[in-house]
Formats: sequence, C-alpha cells, structure tokens
Amino acid sequence: MRNRNLYLWAGIAVVVLAILFPHISPRFQLRMVTEIVIVALLAMTWKMMLNEAGLFSFGHAVYFGLGAYGSVLGWLHIKDLSFMSGILVGGVMAGLISFFLGAFLVRMSGTYYALLTLAFNQLIWAIVWKWRDVTGGDDGLGKFPKPDLLGIPMRDPVNFYYLSLAIVAVCLFICWYFSKTPLGNVVKSIKSNEERTKFIGFNVNASKLVFLTILGFFAGISGALYAQFQEFIGTSSIDLVMSTHVIFMAFIGGVGHFWGPLLGSGIYVYLSEYLSHYTDRWELIFGIVVVILVLLAPQGILGITKKRK
Amino acid sequence: METFVIQFLHGLVYGLLLFLVASGLTLVFGMMSVLNIAHVSFYMLGAYLSYTMLKVVGNFWLALIVCPILVAFLGILMERLILRRVHAAGHVQEFVITFGILFALNEVIKWIWGSENLSVPVPLTLSGSLLIMGNIYPAYRLFILFFSLFILAFLAFILMKTRLGITVRAMVSDRDMASALGTNTPFVFMLVMGIGSWLAGLAGVIAAPFLGISSGMGLDFLTDCFIVTVTGGLGSLWGAVVASFLIGQLSSFGILFMPRFAIVFGFLLMAVVLVIKPSGFFGEKA
Repeated sequence: MRNRNLYLWAGIAVVVLAILFPHISPRFQLRMVTEIVIVALLAMTWKMMLNEAGLFSFGHAVYFGLGAYGSVLGWLHIKDLSFMSGILVGGVMAGLISFFLGAFLVRMSGTYYALLTLAFNQLIWAIVWKWRDVTGGDDGLGKFPKPDLLGIPMRDPVNFYYLSLAIVAVCLFICWYFSKTPLGNVVKSIKSNEERTKFIGFNVNASKLVFLTILGFFAGISGALYAQFQEFIGTSSIDLVMSTHVIFMAFIGGVGHFWGPLLGSGIYVYLSEYLSHYTDRWELIFGIVVVILVLLAPQGILGITKKRK
Repeated sequence: METFVIQFLHGLVYGLLLFLVASGLTLVFGMMSVLNIAHVSFYMLGAYLSYTMLKVVGNFWLALIVCPILVAFLGILMERLILRRVHAAGHVQEFVITFGILFALNEVIKWIWGSENLSVPVPLTLSGSLLIMGNIYPAYRLFILFFSLFILAFLAFILMKTRLGITVRAMVSDRDMASALGTNTPFVFMLVMGIGSWLAGLAGVIAAPFLGISSGMGLDFLTDCFIVTVTGGLGSLWGAVVASFLIGQLSSFGILFMPRFAIVFGFLLMAVVLVIKPSGFFGEKA
C-alpha cells in the first residue's frame, strides 16, 4: 500500500513538473522534453505489445513511420486539413497497416513473431525508400503546413509541447484503460496460456488482431506528432534503427512496469542528446552503458524496485 | 545466355559469401538460440583485422588463418563474460545487450581504423581472371565460391560425424535432457560461440578484397543474415545453404530485371516463407 502511495505521488509530481516545465527551463530543454513526451507514447505501445500480449515487436518503426508519412501526406495533399485531423489520418493509416499485417502476425508467437515483424519492417521501409514520387525517398518530405489548432498557433514550441502532452496523456490513459477491459484481460490470458484461452472459448486471433490494431493506431499518432515536431520526415523514421531505438527506450525503463517506457524514453533521449553533445564517441559509451545496465538490471531500471518489494 | 551465366555466378558468389556469415549465426542463433546481433560486428572486425594484418605482414593466407582465430577468442570472451549471464533472462535482454555490444564494437572499430572506406588488395595468386563462356571472370570470386563450399563441407562433417556435432544436435532437440545426461552444456555453448565467431571473422577476411571495407559493412549484412537463418529454418545448415543461394540469385537477377526494387525481394521472400511455413524450409519446430 505504501508503494502505491509512492507511485501516486511520483505520478502527480511528474504531471505538475510536465505542466510547469516550459516556464522553468530554457528552449533547448523544452525541445528535448517534447521529444521525450512524443516517443514515450511509442515506447509505451511497444511495451504493451510485449507485456500484455507477450509479442516481441522487431518492427515497431512501421507503425511510427507510416503514421508520420500518412499525416504528412495528408497535410500536403488534402487542402485545409486541420491539425487534429492530420494527426488522426496518421493514426488511422498506421492502424490500418497494423490490421493488415496483423492478419499474418497473429498466427505467430515468440521468435517467429519478432522475425516476421522484422521482415515487414524491412519490406515497408524498402518500399517507402524507393517510392520516390510519393515519399520523396532519401530526401524525405519537408515544408508541409503546420495548421493552427482552434486559432492557437502551433508554431510556438510551448503550445506544441502542451498539445503533445495532452494528446499523449489521453492516449496513455486509453492504453491503461484498455488493459483493464475484458478484451485486455483476454489478451493477457493469451500471453499466459494461448491453448487454454482458446479452449475456454475466446477467439484468440481476433482478440490479438484488435489489440495490435489499437496499438498500431497509437504508435501512428506518436509518429504523426513526431513529424510535426521535426517539421520533416525521412526514411530514418521507418527504418530498423528506429525500431531498435524503441526497444531500447522501453527496455531501459523496465518493460514489466507501467511507467517503465516513460522513464526509459526520457533516459534514452537525454543520454543520446547529452552524450552526443559532449563526445563524438557517444555510441561507444551508450553501448557500454546498455551492456552494464542489462547485466545489473535485466528487467530494466524499474525492475530493480520491483525485485526488492 | 552469357549474361545469365555471369549473373548466375555473381549471385552464387554473393550467396555463398552470405552463407559464410550466416552459417555462424545459424549455429549461434539457430541451434543455441542465442540472439547475437553483434555477430555482424565480428564479421566486420575480421575484415578490419585482415587489413592491418596485410599492412604489417603482407600475407593474405596468414591473415586468413590468424584473424578469424582472434575474432573467435573475442566471441568466446563475450559469451563467458556477458551472454552467459543474460541467456536465462530471454531474447529481449539478449537482443538489447548484443545490440549494445554492436554499438560499442562498431565505435571501437571506427576509433581504431577511422570511418573512411578501406580497400584490401586481392592476393597475388588469385589476382588473375578466367575465361568462362567467353567472359573474363575474376579468379578471386571463384576462390570465394570454392572456399565457401569447402567450409560448408567442413561444417557438415563436424555436425554430422564428430562427437561435438552429435552433442550440439542433441542440445538442439532437448537442451535440458542433454545436460541431464552429462553433457557439459555451458562448455559446448562456449565452443559453438567460438566457432560461430570464427566463421564470421573468416567471412570478413574473405569478403574484404571482394566488397571492400567500410564502417557500414556489418549492418549491410545484418538483415540478410537474419533472412537466411530464418527462411532456411532455425538451426538448419542445409536450410541456410538453400536460403543463401536463393537470396544470392534474387539479388543478382533482381538487379538485372528490376533494379529499383531489387532490395525488396529478400524481405519479401522472408515474409512469404514465414507466413506460409513459419519454421522455414528445413526447420522442425514451428
């Protein structure tokens, strides 16, 4: 019970800090925190896939990247598309692709699931990369409109930060709520024993498919926000490197814990910004840090607190 | 017709080179189920070491013997110090930690050798070319072809005929049972890791004069390696051969007919195989 109170207070502290943040910190920090907020949603969808359904996604960048490309193409080609609709277009696009790929993916589990997501990731990355007419290929897509939201200019980083924070908070809440619904419970029971769940009479594949589609949708929203954050979108948002970033983020914080991916994406973004600021060899330091981290805390940073409990 | 033969040979050489890299991964990942992403760093390290070796000693054959052994030692060291501790935790941890090692190793390599592309001369004895159906074909590529076939025969011999191979195959089908029957499984693990890294280093030395050395050479091979290991069937040596052959031909003829989308075919093959038969061509467990 004491633990629960601790988490509650920590959560409230984080929320208050997040809301006050633009007023207490310099611009550079604000950019970084905005990025953390956006990728935290992505890391959360990855974590939920692993933690709730036991599916290790090796190609999470597909949802993220297609969400980003979908919304950017929307803003570029649909006249007067509003800010929120554009974000939704990205989410729906990613959700649709997640649904189609999911139709194949739900029959897999374990290593084979991971490898098939890897194959799909590479396949879609290659198509995006080579389909120059639509996606711009290597050059990526830039110079897309950044519409105002209800008259509030989104060009102002502070406003954009608040919007991202709000959208991500709502999405995280829905994710959390979903894991408590009956469908969420079915997915959990599939993780612990697929055969038995089937035997009780649940449609295992359909439940997994719905789950994957929802997570794909949210990952796409994260991608769409990221596109507006960068004001540019390139193939680096959909390649395998991006997929591994997600895994790192979710893992560092601790996949067994709800707040893990949030903490992890914070640490990850901060480390990569901070280290690359001070040394060219940041990948070396990062690699060593990761190795030590996994050795000391195989369940991520929040996993340490759990073990002591 | 001539272009077909030449293109076929190109594909064959590339496929067999791919097999050399992927065979190590088949051993380590397919058979021992150790998800070692850093495998391609070993391949890269083999190539860079051979560069230095050729600079200092100037003998390709010496490099071919010494460099892979150095890489194998590094692999064994990594298994003992790091991988052994996380294997029980599962694939996620293994993935993250070996990716961390890949990051670190790649940076160390860049630190030592710089990030410019390097080139290694083809050994003198193999620098000539042969006439094949009226076309000049570099002898070194044919050397890659035969050398890879030799390594394949060597691996097949070890796996099928020796005590070590029998033990490894027993561990593939039931690790706990093999351990219970008195096999020193951690030791076999270490040995297989060593052989896997040795193969990666060997492939690096062989590939260096053919493909050149660059800081991206490892990551270029990473996905192709996984495609081979997976489509062939996890842990199946023959599967890896067939898949390497197919990937080689696909990329070779893909470039000939559809240069823009040649890169897609390999991934498409992997996706289709996984969807239709998740265990791969020759895999047993699904």
